[in-house]
Amino acid sequence: MKLTIERAALLKALGHVQSVVERRNTVPILSNVLLSAEREYVGFSATDLDMEIVDETPANVEGTGQITAPAHTLYEIVRKLPEGADVALTYTGEDPRLTVQAGRSRFNLPVLPAGDFPIMSSDGLGSRITIGAAELIRLIDKTRFAISTEETRYYLNGLYLHVVVEDGEPRLRAVATDGHRLALAEMPAPEGSAGSPGVIIPRKTIQEVRRLLDDAGETIEMQVSPQKVKFQFGLAALTSKVIDGSFPDYVRVIPKDNQKVLRVDNALFAAAVDRVATISAEKSRSVKMAVESGKMVLTVRNMEAGQGVEELEIDYDGEPFEIGFNARYLLDVAGQIHGSEAEFRFADPASPTLVLDPDDSGVQYVLMPLRV
Amino acid sequence: MEEGAPDLPPHDGRKIIHVDMDAFYASVEQRDNPYLRGRPVAVGGQQRGVVAAASYEARKFGVRSAMASVTALRQCPELVFVKPRFEVYKGVSRQIREIFSRYTPLIEPLSLDEAYLDVTENLKGMALATEIAREIRAAILTETGLTASAGVSYNKFLAKIASDFNKPNGQTVIPPEKALAFIAALPVKKFYGVGPATAARMARFGIETGGDLKDQSLEFLTRTFGKSGAWYHDLVRGIDHRAVRPDRERKSVGSETTFFEDLTVEGQIEAQVRAIAHDVWGRCQRGQTTGRTITLKVKYADFVQITRSQTLPAPAACGEDLERASLALLQGVFPLEKAIRLLGVTVSSLGAAQPGLAEAPAQFALDL
Repeated sequence: MKLTIERAALLKALGHVQSVVERRNTVPILSNVLLSAEREYVGFSATDLDMEIVDETPANVEGTGQITAPAHTLYEIVRKLPEGADVALTYTGEDPRLTVQAGRSRFNLPVLPAGDFPIMSSDGLGSRITIGAAELIRLIDKTRFAISTEETRYYLNGLYLHVVVEDGEPRLRAVATDGHRLALAEMPAPEGSAGSPGVIIPRKTIQEVRRLLDDAGETIEMQVSPQKVKFQFGLAALTSKVIDGSFPDYVRVIPKDNQKVLRVDNALFAAAVDRVATISAEKSRSVKMAVESGKMVLTVRNMEAGQGVEELEIDYDGEPFEIGFNARYLLDVAGQIHGSEAEFRFADPASPTLVLDPDDSGVQYVLMPLRV
Repeated sequence: MEEGAPDLPPHDGRKIIHVDMDAFYASVEQRDNPYLRGRPVAVGGQQRGVVAAASYEARKFGVRSAMASVTALRQCPELVFVKPRFEVYKGVSRQIREIFSRYTPLIEPLSLDEAYLDVTENLKGMALATEIAREIRAAILTETGLTASAGVSYNKFLAKIASDFNKPNGQTVIPPEKALAFIAALPVKKFYGVGPATAARMARFGIETGGDLKDQSLEFLTRTFGKSGAWYHDLVRGIDHRAVRPDRERKSVGSETTFFEDLTVEGQIEAQVRAIAHDVWGRCQRGQTTGRTITLKVKYADFVQITRSQTLPAPAACGEDLERASLALLQGVFPLEKAIRLLGVTVSSLGAAQPGLAEAPAQFALDL
């Protein structure tokens, strides 16, 4: 194998795949990236056995062939090479190492045979669904903060992507929950998505998909099977196993007729919560929200009897009430509200509260209160 | 406080009694079941458990409490295993505490079957602690049919040592003037706080008895044994100012399980740890307490035992906190090298029994 490639192109391709590679591996070859030189292209593959990213980029290939080399080391070397450098990657077999050469820099890296590199099969994947990159970004950004990190309920450790039909309209919907709050975002179902199985896409996969979306074109393609999901971003492709479990029936925890409805300026609200929470060092800072006609008072107390209070003007003229929330949860939701106002719909201090974005009917947030 | 003469330790005239029931659980079983009398008896599970208590007949064969049942049976093939009946033991324990309370309100129970009493000023106005100890033991025998041993001295350390000296059904007094000679002859492993590991370390320095320990400088002891060094330095000089504390708080809440069959599958082990953590949280809630330090105990099939602990930034606020911390500690045990025979989870660094625990901010969960 012998090829030359411009440093920026090499860095970008390696950057796309190397983050899949775990820092510590019990299987040595999983620390490596597979390089495949074919005619005018070179392919880069990395995997952690649950997810695989493959990227291709044009290169000046003098000799085709495949070999694997340590992914992180190769990435770091390329990153430190001077901008604009042409990088030659050579593996001849005479020297049983991969030679990386650019200008006066030369590195020899240990290799492992390409034949041992695990490749994820694409068997059983459904037909290609085309989705706008911006729309997929929206689905992910509005929901992923609520993905659970609690491993006891492993089926919540991912984003539940599925197609629902409501009011006769099919929608592609993303839902995440950690058991205390839930985030839902949806879009009109893209063509060909009807009938696709719902899948729980692991947190790490979502993170990688989101990263690749930054470099993607206007649309991407997605293929789904009950076991796997594949995203194609131009020349880069990500294939991942999905979480083998069933996502709970989340619909019934979304309140339908909470009566106490108020609107508040979202930016002012977020700033007030953020300020008032400073007083408490606890992890789950509890904010007491006292609501009355036209006014919301946020109070946080700490263990040492310190206290912070913020008052906000709101659009509300119902009965006064009090309710408590984890400050973090309020900030996470406020951070995803696109419009200038946030709409809260309360029932009582122990029941789910619905938070809506008046400018975006396709998102819903459910927050469970804290007892205060 | 009187400054002691050269051979007299400094003491403050306190009168402390340590009462210890003799082979408590086993004696209760022998009392209630004539067949067991005169036979070697072990209370505990025979299949996979440990000996919770052994009768004196069993002890002759080397059976000890906390010994694995299989080992005990090897030592003494005649051994009769009896399932523990904790409700009965608790009942007897209440009876003996009632007896103590006729003499003093200053009772510090250490477990169901032993307690410290401070009888310096007692309810009966008796001058001799020895006499009180004798009366208490007699009352225990007539009212429960069980024997107890007692130790009498001017501090807790010596009272406890003394109760062990004439066991069973005996009592020993260590007055201040005899204290130093008594301690000098005492093997170090009998010292409060000296376990087998510390005893072995001391042996490496040629420290076998209290006398040997007394020859060591405070500087050497603290350098070698850390904080405990100063404690040992005091003890060998007959100094132990710990008060008898009737309100002694629980130090930890925990639970453990010995499995019928050794566990080898990681998923199974996780499920067990989860269940134990859940159980411990239930105990915390019943006791209106919680803690910051979570300890996972793992005993392997070859009886090698390890513990791993983690101190959280804040006391565990819910069962999930406890579960998460326990499972995180368990990850350090994987990949599994040996089958696991016992798992335990303990919460310590307890918050002062939090009266407001039930009212503390609690996150409601979605009904998923």
